[in-house]
Amino acid sequence: MPELHDIANEFIRQEIDEFIERPDERARIIGLFAKASEQMQAIAAALIDGDHETVDRLTAEAIAAGVHAMEVMDDGLIAGMAIVGIKFRQNFIFVPEVLSCARAMKAGMVHIEPILSAAGIEKLGKVIMGTVKGDLHDIGKNLCIMMLRGAGFEVIDLGVDTSQDRFIDAIEEHGANILGMSALLTTTMPNMGKTIEAFIDAGLRDDIRIMVGGAPVTQDFADEMGADGYGKDALACVSLAKQFAGKA
Amino acid sequence: MNSRQRVLAALNRQPVDRTPVCNPTSVATVELMDLVDAPFPNANREPERMARLAATSYTELGFDSIMPVFSIIQESSALGCKIQWEQKDNWPTVRMREPIWQTADDIRVPDDFLDHPDTRCVTEAIRLLRREYGNEVAIIGKTMGPWSLGYHCFGVEPFLLLSLDNPGQTKLCLDRMKEATIRFGLAQIEAGADALTLPDHATGDLVSAQYYARYLRDLHIEFAERLKVPIILHICGRTVDRMPYIAETGMAAFHYDSKNGPEESMAICRDRVALVGNINNPETLFSKGPEAVRAEVVRNLEAGVNLVGPECAIPLQTAIENLKEIPRAVRDWHNDRARIN
Repeated sequence: MPELHDIANEFIRQEIDEFIERPDERARIIGLFAKASEQMQAIAAALIDGDHETVDRLTAEAIAAGVHAMEVMDDGLIAGMAIVGIKFRQNFIFVPEVLSCARAMKAGMVHIEPILSAAGIEKLGKVIMGTVKGDLHDIGKNLCIMMLRGAGFEVIDLGVDTSQDRFIDAIEEHGANILGMSALLTTTMPNMGKTIEAFIDAGLRDDIRIMVGGAPVTQDFADEMGADGYGKDALACVSLAKQFAGKA
Repeated sequence: MNSRQRVLAALNRQPVDRTPVCNPTSVATVELMDLVDAPFPNANREPERMARLAATSYTELGFDSIMPVFSIIQESSALGCKIQWEQKDNWPTVRMREPIWQTADDIRVPDDFLDHPDTRCVTEAIRLLRREYGNEVAIIGKTMGPWSLGYHCFGVEPFLLLSLDNPGQTKLCLDRMKEATIRFGLAQIEAGADALTLPDHATGDLVSAQYYARYLRDLHIEFAERLKVPIILHICGRTVDRMPYIAETGMAAFHYDSKNGPEESMAICRDRVALVGNINNPETLFSKGPEAVRAEVVRNLEAGVNLVGPECAIPLQTAIENLKEIPRAVRDWHNDRARIN
């Protein structure tokens, strides 16, 4: 089993040592980085540090040097975001820091996405995402979308203030079977339940799996509304989507 | 004691005959809008309707306070933000994807800021309420803090990134935006507000306690000094980690969320800042029945929370019966205590 000292990058070692507490997560993260090249570890380190300029440069250099785009995404960007996600969940960092890491990830994805789309790699599944009617907040939803895309899902982003009809139309139009709804306000959370009811009325509820999230949303509220899953953060959202797609 | 005396005494952590039931944020519902013919969006833009809907917290629900500012967008509208006014069943919202400012140099609080229809609506509504209800019920105004105005005027994501990338520029922005907070607050006091809610959403769901200390504590001290009525700071979400800082600001009260236990919150705030709250909105007031509401009220009372009420603006479809249960449960609890003693 790989050990912490098998990871060459000192910053990554310190991050794991300081912030990854759960033994199962620690073992998984150490395993992830121990197999990554030093170049990928450097990309991950810059991402964790929120340094988008360095991620941009290192990713471009790696691609130019012939490193496979998938390797850069998995061993550099996604591996870095795995540490970011855990630090966020454990309240070691907050949304501004996560946003700066997301900005760094986007800077890397700019080089990778065109290569992956040209290669026509099969997606894990198709997800429709949107913030519910009356709610114009989208930071959490956008983080989830970024992580879902990074994990290999095709995501159709309906944006904010999404009506029940738009959710239903999008599911039908794109043939997606996973729906993600987000709400930041306690005043708009009930619109998640109304959307689920609209899917029941339209006779489509059994065709899709619905996940919900957002700062005030809880597992109890998700259960009460009849959602299939609740994700506390972007990592949980990806894990739910994989479970729904049978790829967990 | 009448309702006004009760609320003001509790905000000043003085003795009361019973715990007041207070709404520092909106308790407007669709049912109440129908009852008094004051639906959204009109009730957010016309002083008479705003006052009429607000008064139902006292006349229909039995609360000890009236709070006419149902949304968080009145002054943002006056600053120039684009507003989605919505309809009866939805809240007005700022279109934060279309920010009006990018840097501190862009910040302008217009000279006629207080004459804008959406700020004047609030001051007029407060005047009407004061005229109608005299000194029998506490009238609470609302002025948004600069952190929340930053989300509206710069966009949430750009503002939060700015706070990380350039702390100096962020402080400058906050310092310039505070003028809107103070001017709108003073205008409402002049119109007759007994107290002001000051929402400033530095919530634990978004930023750290250190952020609160770095960016907001000093500004909040300044607000408490310059706005000479009791100020009720409102921050949603988990906030226990920043309550020690909040308690140092001189704010009269903190309106706290159900993500914080009444006991742990009182342990920090007792004798330093009054607590208002924290009946859960989505899971209790909106989804459950009076019995669950009563249980949360009692838990707050047992913990010694100074004023009881919903944790935040309630969903518009909340049942009136659940809201009426709050004052009913407070009275019953005090009656039971009086009998035992």
